[in-house]
Amino acid sequence: MYISSMNDLFHNTEDEQPLTVSEITGYIKETLEKNFNEIYVVGEISGYKRAFPSGHSYFNLKDEKASISCNLWSFRYNYLKFTPKDGKKVLIRGRITVYEPRGSYAIEVMSMTEFGIGELQLAFEKLKQKLIEEGLFDEKYKKPIPEFPDNVAIITSETGAVIEDFKKVTRKRYPLINLYLFPVLVQGAGSVESVCRAIRKANSCGIDFDVIVVARGGGSIEDLWTFNEEAVAREVFASKIPVVSAVGHEVDYTICDFVADLRAPTPSAAAEMILPDKNELLERLKNYEYTLKSEVNDRIDFYKDSLERIKSNYAFNKPRDILNDFKIRLDEMSEELGKAADDRIKYFSNELNYKERILSSISPEKTLKRGFAYVVRNGKVISRKKELTGGDEVEINFQDGRTNAEIRTK
Amino acid sequence: MAKDKINKDSFEFAYRKLEKILEQLEQNIEEKSLDEIIENYQEGLKLLKVCRDKLNEAELKIEKINLEK
Repeated sequence: MYISSMNDLFHNTEDEQPLTVSEITGYIKETLEKNFNEIYVVGEISGYKRAFPSGHSYFNLKDEKASISCNLWSFRYNYLKFTPKDGKKVLIRGRITVYEPRGSYAIEVMSMTEFGIGELQLAFEKLKQKLIEEGLFDEKYKKPIPEFPDNVAIITSETGAVIEDFKKVTRKRYPLINLYLFPVLVQGAGSVESVCRAIRKANSCGIDFDVIVVARGGGSIEDLWTFNEEAVAREVFASKIPVVSAVGHEVDYTICDFVADLRAPTPSAAAEMILPDKNELLERLKNYEYTLKSEVNDRIDFYKDSLERIKSNYAFNKPRDILNDFKIRLDEMSEELGKAADDRIKYFSNELNYKERILSSISPEKTLKRGFAYVVRNGKVISRKKELTGGDEVEINFQDGRTNAEIRTK
Repeated sequence: MAKDKINKDSFEFAYRKLEKILEQLEQNIEEKSLDEIIENYQEGLKLLKVCRDKLNEAELKIEKINLEK
């Protein structure tokens, strides 16, 4: 039927008998109306208007790439089980009609049902399963978010609570960042492309972003649908910069949440999760200050103590002399005591040798390395100021050698 | 996670440096000379001030990116 009428049309033209506008329109009308007299179409309502007083409804049915006019007569309106409005996904049963005076075609709606949550849920599960199988949600692809971000991109609606809430939390927590807003459509026609383009732009605009936040406030499953679209999921996956998904409320899970590097329950929570807290940092700095000061004070106390120990150290003050004295006395004693005391003397002698070794091992060298020096006059270590008089020639001993000095005043 | 390259003028730079100084002081203080310890201490105090100033004086900078271009 279709083919034969088309042949008729061409036949007429070849005979160079031009058609009137009415005639060609009539053919078109006949062709379209015959072939599309019962169709089922899924799409999204946009530009919805209900005329008064007739009560007829006019709107466009859209998807990402195309649009078609629809009309719904008032007597059929009453059979609808929902209130049509822009952005709603619907399933329409109808037929194509051509309106000859304007040469336009439209769907005359016979019945219209919400493309329900059931169907959306099914589409969601199907896409989720598909992407799981492809590995898009795998842990191994999750990129870590830097602890102290400098540049943050937020992809969301320019108007509304989300961006305001995000700014508020950021000011309170960590106002050190540069926040870049990528204004996008977050629902309805064009939103998928808008979000995808923003993610690509964030990756290519030359700013060194530490993290991208994709955010949208709460809404129905249809409102959030953009973030369940495969194109958005793939763009998030392709992003070199870590992506945080903050779509809807705590209970809403979107495909975007699964593929993102981090899911935040809400946009405000996203700010809390990716930004350090100023007050907590100040508290940590306070602890660091305490640690720094106490470490150093402890060390200084330790030096003071060891200085005291060194000053009172036997070997340091009177090296060898006393030991030699002991040896001499021991020799004298041994003579006095004679052979009978030999064993005992041997014991003392050993003991002394042992002590000598210990004493010589307590060398001031280690102490010198820490920044101390000792003063020697005529081979004797000076441990008190009162031992010195003006004009004295002394040696100051450092870890790497000695130098001569003269005492100016007492 | 720390970033690969940290801006020398950033909070993070000063903060990480401070942490490093503290870590070294806590681990190797016995091997350090008094001079080194004092130097670390002064550096630490300086970094503390940088960190605090940055936290207290920062004001959020916001820029809008035009997606049409």
